[in-house]
Amino acid sequence: MNNTIVLPIVIPIIAGMVMVICKNMIKLQRYLSIAVTLLIGAAAAFLLEQIKREGVQTLYLGGWEAPFGITLVADMFAVLLVLTTALITFCCLCYAFSSIGADREQHYFYPLTLFLMAGVNGSFLTGDIFNLFVFFEVMLVASYVLITLGGTKMQLRESVKYILINMISSSLFLIAIAFLYAMLGTLNMAHLSVRVAQAGQGGLMTAVAFLFLIVFSIKAGLFLFFWLPGPYSAPPTAIAALFASLLTKVGVYGIIRLFSLVFYHEPNVTHLFIGILAAVSMVLGAMGAVAYWDIRRILTYNVVVGVGFILAGFASFTLEGMRGAVYYLLHDMNVKALLFLLGGTIIHLTGTDKLKEMSGLIRLHPQLGWMFFLAALALSGIPPLSGFIGKLFVTTGTFQAGYFWLGGIGLFTGLLVLYSVMKIFMQVFWGYTNYTAETEKGTTKGLLWPLGILTAVVLFLGLGAEALSEYVDLAVAVLSDPRLYVDAVLSSNL
Amino acid sequence: MAYFYQVIALPFITAVFVPFLHKRINPRIHTGWFVLFVPLILFCYLCSYIPIISAGRIVHLNLPWIPSYGLNLTAHLDGLALVFALIISGMGFLVTLYSIYYLSKFKEALHNFYVYLLLFMGAMLGVVFADNLFVLYVFWEITSISSFLLIAYWFEREKSRSGAQKSLLITVFGGLSMLAGFILLFLITGTASIQALMNKVELIQSHPFFVPAMVLVLLGAFTKSAQFPFSIWLPDAMEAPTPISAYLHSATMVKAGIYLVARLTLLFGGAAEWFWLVAGVGLVTLFYGSLNALKQTDLKALLAYSTISQLGLIMSLLGLGSAALYFGAGKEGTVYAIAIFAAIFHLVNHATFKGCLFMVVGIIDHELGTRSIRKLGGLMQAMPISFLLTLTGSLAMAGLPPFNGFLSKEMFFAAVLKAGEMPFFQMGRWGSLLVFVAWLASVFTFVYCLIILCRTFLGKQHTEKLKKKPHEASFGMLLSPIILAALVIIIFFYPNVLSRHLLQPAWEAVLPTFAGAASLQYEIKPWHGFNAALLMTIGVVLLGFFLYKTFLKWRRFLRLYPHRYTLNNLYIWLLEKTEVFSRAVTKRYMTGFARDYLVYILAFVILVVGGAVYLFNGFTLDFSRNSAVSLYEILLLLGMVSCAITVLLSQSRLTSVIAVGGLGFMVVTFFVIFRAPDLALTQLVVETVTTVLLLLCIYHLPKFKKEKSPWRFKLVNGVIAIGVGTVMTLVAFSAYAHHLFPSISGFYKNSYQLAGAKNIVNAILVDFRGFDTMLEILVLSMAGLGVYTLIKLCLTRREEHEGSQ
Repeated sequence: MNNTIVLPIVIPIIAGMVMVICKNMIKLQRYLSIAVTLLIGAAAAFLLEQIKREGVQTLYLGGWEAPFGITLVADMFAVLLVLTTALITFCCLCYAFSSIGADREQHYFYPLTLFLMAGVNGSFLTGDIFNLFVFFEVMLVASYVLITLGGTKMQLRESVKYILINMISSSLFLIAIAFLYAMLGTLNMAHLSVRVAQAGQGGLMTAVAFLFLIVFSIKAGLFLFFWLPGPYSAPPTAIAALFASLLTKVGVYGIIRLFSLVFYHEPNVTHLFIGILAAVSMVLGAMGAVAYWDIRRILTYNVVVGVGFILAGFASFTLEGMRGAVYYLLHDMNVKALLFLLGGTIIHLTGTDKLKEMSGLIRLHPQLGWMFFLAALALSGIPPLSGFIGKLFVTTGTFQAGYFWLGGIGLFTGLLVLYSVMKIFMQVFWGYTNYTAETEKGTTKGLLWPLGILTAVVLFLGLGAEALSEYVDLAVAVLSDPRLYVDAVLSSNL
Repeated sequence: MAYFYQVIALPFITAVFVPFLHKRINPRIHTGWFVLFVPLILFCYLCSYIPIISAGRIVHLNLPWIPSYGLNLTAHLDGLALVFALIISGMGFLVTLYSIYYLSKFKEALHNFYVYLLLFMGAMLGVVFADNLFVLYVFWEITSISSFLLIAYWFEREKSRSGAQKSLLITVFGGLSMLAGFILLFLITGTASIQALMNKVELIQSHPFFVPAMVLVLLGAFTKSAQFPFSIWLPDAMEAPTPISAYLHSATMVKAGIYLVARLTLLFGGAAEWFWLVAGVGLVTLFYGSLNALKQTDLKALLAYSTISQLGLIMSLLGLGSAALYFGAGKEGTVYAIAIFAAIFHLVNHATFKGCLFMVVGIIDHELGTRSIRKLGGLMQAMPISFLLTLTGSLAMAGLPPFNGFLSKEMFFAAVLKAGEMPFFQMGRWGSLLVFVAWLASVFTFVYCLIILCRTFLGKQHTEKLKKKPHEASFGMLLSPIILAALVIIIFFYPNVLSRHLLQPAWEAVLPTFAGAASLQYEIKPWHGFNAALLMTIGVVLLGFFLYKTFLKWRRFLRLYPHRYTLNNLYIWLLEKTEVFSRAVTKRYMTGFARDYLVYILAFVILVVGGAVYLFNGFTLDFSRNSAVSLYEILLLLGMVSCAITVLLSQSRLTSVIAVGGLGFMVVTFFVIFRAPDLALTQLVVETVTTVLLLLCIYHLPKFKKEKSPWRFKLVNGVIAIGVGTVMTLVAFSAYAHHLFPSISGFYKNSYQLAGAKNIVNAILVDFRGFDTMLEILVLSMAGLGVYTLIKLCLTRREEHEGSQ
């Protein structure tokens, strides 16, 4: 029993409720939201150390022991993600202070962001599959409101698609849970793991596993990503960055959790299939990124490539591959947030997102340019930045598993990714400068320092990968040996 | 040994401070003066290792980076690394010195220039010292990146940008291939240390990954060293300022591929694939480069192609020399091993004479504002020192005495002749072709060397075509090329001093298995009697002179090759087509219609879930646990079906809404029949409220029109709808039949004892799973907020912009 686990969920909810009441006290909302992210970051850091010392931590909510009540489980993988979420939310909030506008601030932007964060954190921390569904709902409804917040024409148009597709996927999720419950009679994930292991993963079980895979794939943008590029480019920059960085990753987390903890008995079927989907997503995503000449679209297609790459590592189901997947996941969350914020800043400055209308921005904004350059390199896994370690291990893992095609596609699409983002860099920042400080549509005042933090993390995750290695390896240990998770949850009974 | 890492890291450390320093001192003092000390210190420091290395010792140092994964900055300092490191730091010094006079401190963004340069210098040293393959890759990519930045140093120019992009794409492509190759090597042996790999040669050579790993690694080496057909990036890289061309694109970075091939010769050498790939590609590049150099009119482009050609020469020597490993240590092997010695020797020579030539071309460009040989000519009087420098450089390149190029060129001929007679590796008749190609390429080399020299400095002066009056450059600018030219001559006269201290240890480092055998000794002699190699040189000179004299007559034949089918156009075509094709594919499936996306998703559900059930025999029916179906239930079912059909077929909205409501109420009745009053009540409320709300909304909606959609549209909809329904029903039945374990719900039966609640459902909702309920409340309140904001906040685009200010 460890009560700290519930903090990343409860703190933002309570703070959010306070903010809903204090609707017009914007200053308070700002400080409070920042404080919340810092608190959650501290709680996550505390948990990290605790897990390192004592192994996987659990909390039986209401004192109802597993598998009867809802259990929260904090393993290294989940807590690393919670910590990253706190960092990214912090930066996006800081960015929002000077960019989101008073109207949105007065219309619950901060509480909704915190609720979104609660949903994301909960999804990472819960050990109960129905509760996971509920957290998905929390996250999604918050995202529905955030995506429409402001009610511009484009937002409304895209939100209809977004809500429609997510409703369908939520109902599929619910159906899948019902199927699973009908067969196994339980909802606790550790318990599910035990029961599947006992009964064997038969054909029907695999079919249900595929249904879960589809549900999470829709959320993650793995192969079923068609809905993603539109809605991710509609909302204001800070929100879009949050979405790109966090929401898809919750789907990725779902796939990794479920297929390492419960449905891990037929990797030649399920994991190979994940690998194929990952390969197709990387190819289609990279093609989309190469095809277009506007910043937003290039970046959103890159979200798809990233998801494919993470899951390629997981699909290999080797120690190296999963280690790579974890590293790359952390890197991807960070760098996607950074790139979306940078892209948004560029659009804010130039008033357009068409690459062909921009030129020579680096003379006026060297910091912005170099941050973009670093982010672009990191995105394509150029060493020694944050993407490299992940790329190295993911590729090693896929080769080790004999999936040479998968590793090869991963490397090659990396090149296309580099091409697509370097295209942005060269078009936007190089060339003749056709702006002056006066003709610009906006300023970078107050926007640069959150970007600086994220850039520093890009550097740190690459150069200082050693500092993380212990934690990542502990995360991978649980992923590759589900008994560690199961024993922690069900130790007291069964 | 002390302070090794501190000194090697000096370029990186200085790079951090350069921008601040630049801000302080520019334009009072040229920033280059402060950068200059970095390569100087490096060079002097590295020189202190020469005695150690030439005594046959090897320095191995370790600095942890990511020790958990074995990624350490292990430095392996042997002869080969030292030769490269000295070239890097030595040329670095000369180039920095040269750049101080070349780049104006008033016009140029010097801080950028020197940061990139230092970054490159550090990374390149990292490449040659790294013992870990992956660390080598790290530095390898940093050199690509810094080269990218340096090529696009004048980023306003379109050509600089496209040249930079091309070099980046090609070298990163190669880098990624190389990484894949390294990973394969790692998987074969379980180690990434080059030295450790050397002990597992047999394991590697017998492994099925051997050839793939070799090809992938070579892709990296070939792209970096501008070997055919990847050479196309190098001519475009000439958009970089000339000091950079002299440094990265002729003396150092492009030799990283050569370094890699030399370093891994022991691993792969002795295999026929390696021999043919390295030697073959090298020779083709040698020929291709020299032939294309003839076509150029821009001096820098000419030098670029000549660099390609010379790199091919060195590469082919390494390939030819790898035959030594076929024999292993011993007399027979050593005969072939001399080619490797020649490669290292020529590498040093090339750095000296090509560096000198580039710098002179830079001087001409700087002083006269053009590099086109059409506008140049007769500069000997105006620029006598430059003339002498060019004379030295170009004749060395052409392979004439008394310049160092002569020595290595002779060794090249000897090696090719020896290889041509090889009785193994299926040499057979290819041998004579090999010799002929090498010889012909040398003839072309001779011709273009004469072009550089004579068309620029001899003949008539075209003063009218020049913007500035020809005059000699300042002494500072001439200093670096003079040092290099002096080296060119000194090495010719004292080659064995160099050989003993540097080349010999480097040779032994490439072939450590030979080193002990004491047979690895070679004395460089300028004169070795009338042998075949010398005759070949004489032939080169004679035919070369003839071809140069008649150049204008046969030049047009060179242009006969259609411009459309060049490699460069292939690259452009590929780039364009990738974009066009990608867009076509993406637009095809990304229609922007939610309906299409739903079709994809649901069709995928049918295929995957249905397919899995079918393939893995998941479908089972078992009604034994079912209770009897009563008449009420059948009636209710029929009612629900008819309601659903009514929704589909009805002509007015009102009917549809009422039918939906009806469906809901029948579900309520089901709950009642199954004795779940709580659920029934909840559902009743929900149904009532939604129906009323829908009816309210209808009032505001536009007139209902029957959709007229094509039958195919409806067919797809129908198939998808029926498919999803069928698959879900089948899986549901199977899941029900597949009841493997008792449900945990038994636990809640004694809810009164556990939670003090007589109603299980309530106990579950507010106690056992109260957390879910709390979150659902949160969901509802958020939905409420959503509705509120949708009504209240409607920004237009303009307002949004103002709001954000």
